[in-house]
Amino acid sequence: MSDPTDSTEPPTDTDSSDTDRNDGSDGQPRDPTLRRPDGGAVLEDDRDADLDRGPFQQWVSDAISHPERVYRAMFYVAAIFFLFTTLFPFYWLLMVALTPEGQLQDIVFTPNGFNPGAFVEVFQVIPFHIYMFNSFVIALASTVVVLVIASLAGYAFGRLEFPGRTPLMLLVLVISFFPPAAFFIPLNDLFNTSFAFLRPITGDGTLYNTPFALVTPLSAIFMPLAIFILTTFYSQIPDGLEDAARVEGTTRLGALFRVIIPLSAPGVATAGVLTFIAVYNEFFFSFLMTDGQPENWAPILDGILAYQGQYQVLYNLMAAASILGVIPVAILVVIAQEKIVSGLTAGALKE
Amino acid sequence: MATDADDGTGTDTEPVTDGGTLTGGETGTSHGHERTGNAVVNWMENLSEAAYAYLLLLPAFALLTLIAFYPMIRTFVMSLRANQTRGLDPLGGFVGLENYIDILTGNARLARQFLDVGLTSSFPFIELGTPFFQQALFVTLAFAVISVVVETVIGFGQAYVLDQEFTGRRWVRVAIILPWAVPIVIQGMIFFLLFQPTVGFGSDLMQSLGIFSGTPLANSQDAFIIILVADIWKSSAFMALLILAGLQSVDRSLYDVARVAGASPWQRFKLITLPLVMPALLVAMLFRTMDAMRVYGLIESTAGCTTVPSLSCLVVEAMFGGTRIYATAAAVAFATALVIGLIIGVYVLLFRDTDGGMY
Repeated sequence: MSDPTDSTEPPTDTDSSDTDRNDGSDGQPRDPTLRRPDGGAVLEDDRDADLDRGPFQQWVSDAISHPERVYRAMFYVAAIFFLFTTLFPFYWLLMVALTPEGQLQDIVFTPNGFNPGAFVEVFQVIPFHIYMFNSFVIALASTVVVLVIASLAGYAFGRLEFPGRTPLMLLVLVISFFPPAAFFIPLNDLFNTSFAFLRPITGDGTLYNTPFALVTPLSAIFMPLAIFILTTFYSQIPDGLEDAARVEGTTRLGALFRVIIPLSAPGVATAGVLTFIAVYNEFFFSFLMTDGQPENWAPILDGILAYQGQYQVLYNLMAAASILGVIPVAILVVIAQEKIVSGLTAGALKE
Repeated sequence: MATDADDGTGTDTEPVTDGGTLTGGETGTSHGHERTGNAVVNWMENLSEAAYAYLLLLPAFALLTLIAFYPMIRTFVMSLRANQTRGLDPLGGFVGLENYIDILTGNARLARQFLDVGLTSSFPFIELGTPFFQQALFVTLAFAVISVVVETVIGFGQAYVLDQEFTGRRWVRVAIILPWAVPIVIQGMIFFLLFQPTVGFGSDLMQSLGIFSGTPLANSQDAFIIILVADIWKSSAFMALLILAGLQSVDRSLYDVARVAGASPWQRFKLITLPLVMPALLVAMLFRTMDAMRVYGLIESTAGCTTVPSLSCLVVEAMFGGTRIYATAAAVAFATALVIGLIIGVYVLLFRDTDGGMY
């Protein structure tokens, strides 16, 4: 697209043209000859040979002479395209939720009617708030477990030298790749086994239908990412700070919890946000480790699927429930987007 | 970090005495639990660095052993035994690799036969009579390959948009990340509704284009496309973020040099951007491939596992499908893990190659 004669132009010429046109963000190669007021360049004669061209050809020649404008236009088209494709499903979901039951046909951009009551009905048909509460408890508990355990491991990986450090890290990484299905069968057995010492707590002595059946596997599955993020952050704290605390009489664990972790607060927050979102969004164990009843710690997933499975097809309530389920993570994304971005890249590229 | 302070003297009380000095032993009160606390603290302080590191790793590896290592081994052991549909023990005697041979040749009796005859005739790589493990393997691999390739392309587009400076960039980034943060069940629900003929316009639209049949969610081919689109919608953002990190690490002056040398935008992309982004891109693709290989929730919440069988679907169906064929389920589960291990191996090789090529 750029003219090959560009490189043959004297550099001073290119510089002057750059200074008078600095709006092009990407600084594409320009043809300085075309912008000379007298237009006396050989090239221009060549291009404007016949001036009675149609608008399209005019546009094409404009595009050839000002590639940076094309890039800008392409950028806007792409940005709008991506905005539309990512946001439209949410907008459409809202339109479906607002449409009264029975008129749910051909909704594209506007709802057929206006029925905000669906957002109240969601809680009346099934106890959706209990599902949401369960999801929050499970996600928060998993996040706490992951942060504590991953902090210890991240400290060891990030700040201590020991034999087998790299192989052990690789082992953690590999675990995060394997499918939950490969772990599921024995875990399902384990959580359905009756233990005498659990009988006073869970009734039948099994962990099935308790938060433990979800928190334990989910913590393990999402711990590797947290370990990688925390390893990165902890390894960046200067040794001197920790040494000073140790000289002051702090114990080893004290140094970790009173120096390293507070100084790595952004890293801990990043790991926490990512773990929370991951646990909240998980499907496999959340679906299979409870029987789907709200009183048995079934997470939000079962609440939403309950609308799909019922004899009555309450599409508008499905949409409303989905919107309510998205709101917590949407808020997290808006508040903590920098952390999510840095956490995902640090965690993934750490390898 | 391991400059041993004098805490080994034994009289130090609390691990967290603020301003505790080198003299130690400031507080004389010694309750019983404090003394045991001291003993633990002292023991910990006197450990070598390596021993301390292993101690800190203990909880993490204990959890991983309980949830991952032990179940993996147990799954493998289970897969070597016979199915026993009656009796107390669901597993019979040792049969070696028979279960694996059965699932590969189609002799395994899965509870529910996947795929109706009428619905599958149009699906290119699934035919009735093919062993369902192979069907599921094909579906899963096809899903993984197509979704990762498309997500890479879209991810590049999104990363380029986010790489520009413009007002409102923060909000565009929020919009692009948002699908990534949506729970799988809601992602499934959105696309279920979009292509549900009575509600969504998606099925009408695709039908008028002549691509879909009247009931896309019950048709294997249509449902496969829907699941692909849903996955691409959700996961491109992850790709974009990692590619963006790669893009931003590229030294901008390289582009200036290339421009002076007269390289076209495509040449600049091919010769500068791509090689430098490659390591980040490969990591992103590896993560996405692993994720796509274990697809289950999206299928379960849209079309259902009978319409689009994936490997994880097969495990769950074998477990809960009615008849107790735990050994077969275990064999499928372990075979899935093997396939994924194989793919990790390929990526590691690729990764080593790019590293060797770059430096």
